[in-house]
This record gives sequence, C-alpha cells and structure tokens, in this order.
Amino acid sequence: MAKLRHLAIAAKDPDAMADFYMKAFDFKLVRTSDGPLAYGHHISDGTIDLAILRFKTDQIGKGMDYTGLHHFGILVENLDEAEKVALAFGGKHYMDQENPDRTGGFEVKLYGPEGVLFDVAEHPWTGSEALPAAVKEAAD
Amino acid sequence: MPKLRHIAIAAEDPEAMAEFYKKAFDFKEVGRPNGYLADGVFLSDGTLNMAILKFKTDQLGKGMDYRGLHHFGVLVEDVAEFEQKLQTLGAEHYIDQGQDGHQAGYFEKKFYGPEGVLFDIAEHGWAGAEPLPAPMKDAAE
Repeated sequence: MAKLRHLAIAAKDPDAMADFYMKAFDFKLVRTSDGPLAYGHHISDGTIDLAILRFKTDQIGKGMDYTGLHHFGILVENLDEAEKVALAFGGKHYMDQENPDRTGGFEVKLYGPEGVLFDVAEHPWTGSEALPAAVKEAAD
Repeated sequence: MPKLRHIAIAAEDPEAMAEFYKKAFDFKEVGRPNGYLADGVFLSDGTLNMAILKFKTDQLGKGMDYRGLHHFGVLVEDVAEFEQKLQTLGAEHYIDQGQDGHQAGYFEKKFYGPEGVLFDIAEHGWAGAEPLPAPMKDAAE
C-alpha cells in the first residue's frame, strides 16, 4: 500500500519553526535545502519527513504570505502507475521535478480534489521510512 | 520518540475527497467522525490517520471557506508531560478534548505552534494509526 511519508509546512521563519519541533518532539534534522522552490529544513520522526519551508513560488494559490500546512507526499512503489491512476480519478498534474538526478524529494506534484496539492514519489524522502516491502527485502 | 500519526484536511465535500484517496492510493476508510468541531471521513494508510473533514468552526483564523491541509497530530507517550514542555517552548494551548462539554474526537489537546500552525497531541492513537513503537528494551524482552 502507498504510504504518507511527507508533510510540508509553509513558514516565514523555517529556522525557528524547525527548532521548535526538534525541541518539542525530539524530531531530528536530516537536511537543509535551498532550491528553486523553497528554503528550509527537513526534520524526521523516523517515519515521516516534516519539511518546514519558506516557499519561493505560490504553489497552492493562497498567496506568498500564506503560512501553515502546505502539502503532503505519498510514497508509492511505481511512480508512473500511481500518477496514471491519480490522473484517471481526476487528479491534475502540476509539475515534475526538474533535476532528474535528484532522489529523496518530490518527483511529481499533483492537485487532488479541491486543489489540495500533494507529491507522489517512489524514492523515500530524506529521513523517512521506506515502504514495508522494501524494508523486508533489505532485511532478507 | 513521538510520532506524526495524523493529518487533517479541510474539505467542502469530504465524501468525494476521501473517495479519491481510497481509489487512487488504496487508503482504507476507518471511521466517520461527526462531532462538535467537524464531520467527515477517516482514512488510513496503515500508519497515519488521514482525516478529511468539513469543519464547523474556524480553528485556523483563515475563514470558514478555507480548504486544504489544516492540522497534524503527534502521538506521544504522556500528554501531560508534553503539554508542559510545549508551553515552556511558547506553544499556545487552544482546546482540550471534552472541553465545553463536548467530546470533540480523537485529539486530546490542540496547540498553536510557531506562526499559528495548529497541531494535536494525543497519547491514544487516532483511528487506523500505528501505535508508538515499543521501547527497544521492551521489544528485546
């Protein structure tokens, strides 16, 4: 089964916000990124990548001042297949990642019902847990 | 370590939105909450509870028309201990489950973190969410 493995928050001050969740819940810093779409920190509870980001574009149509929960990400076994299924059920393609060498981030961004933005990826986000099948294979 | 085990989405039509995630990603329906704060559909991927809700109050200060990701929830071992810690770190307490005489759902306490981001903490798991891993020592025994 596909798994929710990524949650992104839009923040004005990603440094302070990430620090809060690390201190409050002992989440670990796994990566700091500054790319074309956003600057911020990825922290992890060992299962989920929690990305606390200052976005550089308005991906969700709520304006550049928007702060709050932004999008989530679903880890799948087969990206092409999952994208096809999501599109067949009414999802709308938004963008693919530009850097084909990048792994561990978003791969495809889609809008679901009511314009809710989500990523679909077949490589786990930094600090997030692999799909159960991959964990089993690694152990064998 | 505490675990992220709940995300909530504000929807105009929770039924249709839940149907999409069930069909697209095989998420399973695990509940139909109908409370003072919201009603809708609970889905699960086997690890997280994904709540797709039509809210009845404006918890975020973004207006009743707000649609999109709304809040998340963290499963902790001891709510009282974490409440104290959160307040020390500057989080603002919003509401407790059962406060004002209602049983609001699966959250136990809601807080506003930095920049007004709303999150729940709970020590009893949300429907369909995986429990906290047993401490290493317990697991080894």
